Amino acid sequence: MMNWTKQYPGWTMFGAMLGLLFFLWGLAIPLSAAPAPIGPAAEQFAEGARVTVWLTLIAGSVGVVLGIVAGMGKLSKFLPLRWICDFYVWLIRGTPLLLQIMFVWLALPTIMPEGIELSDFACAAIALSLNIGAYNTECVRAGILAVPHGQVEAAKALGLTPFQTFMDVILPQSLRVALPALANNLASLVKDSSLAYAISVVELTMAGYRVQAESYQPIPVFLTIAAIYLILTTAFTTLTAALEARLDVGQKR
Amino acid sequence: MDNQSPPSQPIIIARNVDKRFGSFYALRGVSASFSEGQVTAIVGPSGSGKSTFLRTLNRLEAHDGGEIIIDGIVLSDDLQHLDAIRREVGMVFQSFNLFSHLTILRNVALAPIRVRKMSRADAEAKALALLDRVGLKNQAHKYPVQLSGGQQQRVAIARALAMDPKVLLFDEPTSALDPEMVNEVLTVMRELAHTGITMLVVTHEMGFAREVADRVIFFDEGVILEDTTPQAFFTNPDHERAQAFLSQVRHGF
Ligand SMILES: Nc1ncnc2c1ncn2[C@@H]1O[C@H](COP(=O)(O)OP(=O)(O)OP(=O)(O)O)[C@@H](O)[C@H]1O
Ligand SMILES: [Mg+2]
Repeated sequence: MMNWTKQYPGWTMFGAMLGLLFFLWGLAIPLSAAPAPIGPAAEQFAEGARVTVWLTLIAGSVGVVLGIVAGMGKLSKFLPLRWICDFYVWLIRGTPLLLQIMFVWLALPTIMPEGIELSDFACAAIALSLNIGAYNTECVRAGILAVPHGQVEAAKALGLTPFQTFMDVILPQSLRVALPALANNLASLVKDSSLAYAISVVELTMAGYRVQAESYQPIPVFLTIAAIYLILTTAFTTLTAALEARLDVGQKR
Repeated sequence: MDNQSPPSQPIIIARNVDKRFGSFYALRGVSASFSEGQVTAIVGPSGSGKSTFLRTLNRLEAHDGGEIIIDGIVLSDDLQHLDAIRREVGMVFQSFNLFSHLTILRNVALAPIRVRKMSRADAEAKALALLDRVGLKNQAHKYPVQLSGGQQQRVAIARALAMDPKVLLFDEPTSALDPEMVNEVLTVMRELAHTGITMLVVTHEMGFAREVADRVIFFDEGVILEDTTPQAFFTNPDHERAQAFLSQVRHGF
């Protein structure tokens, strides 16, 4: 990654976040200046990009929490918990994401209690969270295993509780190891979120598909979408690279 | 009835302590008590159970038989007892085990903040004072990897002292160091020995044992073979195994 993300990680993170926001709010303005078929549909593109980013941010965050919880669970001494987490990862990694999205959309409403309506967007967010969570689980597990045992012993000997030992020592050190892989998963998520189109969530790809269907000009439309995806993935990658640099302190090279 | 008056009450009492790994006995009926302020050198051949004995005293290893009482608290699975004991007993490891993701200052301040619930400002002021005592105040904002082995070990001593322990356990604190760094650590330990803290030091530094220790314990195959003064141990040990050990040490390994 670029050198300045390493030199000024705090600023880069802030900048990438700000850039992402500006991009989202302002996307419609430059696009509307473009010739047909892009210009007239600028607002649709912008709305689609917003949905894509929301899906990514929500599923990305929930996925990290799921990954940490299930990653710990896989290393638990409590056997049933380990089985549950193993089963979760096995199930999600062994089936297509598209199927998982459809399943959540079709099956979840039937088992939800009366009165709770799940929007299509919520279903997509749930399915994507579960999906990236399973992939994160493996990364977090590997990260936890990479923490030297001496670190845990030192924490114990100082009188830290198991919870404090986990939060203050094991988690930060294992995330430092797991972060490149987690960042990778997040970059995939930006693109994988496009599968939400299958349950009629109008995210970026779906927005483009509609514009294209109305204008019969697929090439400029898809080029525009590709460009927006590239900008989004670059923003997310910059963000995570800066985070990595921040956590990298004290690491042997 | 125990009629001993409080001042002469030993701070550590081990009675008939057994420790098994599988069917192998690492400790067999070890009994010893240590009075407050005493500095004990623990020596013996490799694999004789020195580390294991030290590690049962703060329950990094759970003993399988016998009884350990520290400052009047019985060491058992009772978590409250364990918390209380770990506050009283600090440990310095052969491989330092500094928290690699934290600065030197945070390494020393962490346990007082978390375990003693000190304010961050107070804990850091205390940490700085301790770092000053081991001659490393100017390194406070570095990370462990940026320090030499000898410096890291001095930080580890400061970190243990930050909990105001009554007992400090050292497991071969100089064995992982380059020869030119051994002395800086021994100097700090020598100064500590005069402060009234109870020290148990597993070491191969016979010079240190002879000069600084009040007492020498010689382990062999999981039992204490000799428990005497440095003077008696180094001039005229009772057991042949101890004589053999000493002549081996004198002639280099
Ligand atoms: N976790 C463990 N599992 C199995 N065996 C162990 C374990 N820890 C120690 N042992 C065995 O117990 C015996 C005593 O080990 P210990 O580490 O206490 O020796 P030591 O006197 O400290 O030796 P050294 O001078 O090499 O450090 C050794 O035979 C060792 O192999
Ligand atoms: Mg040892």
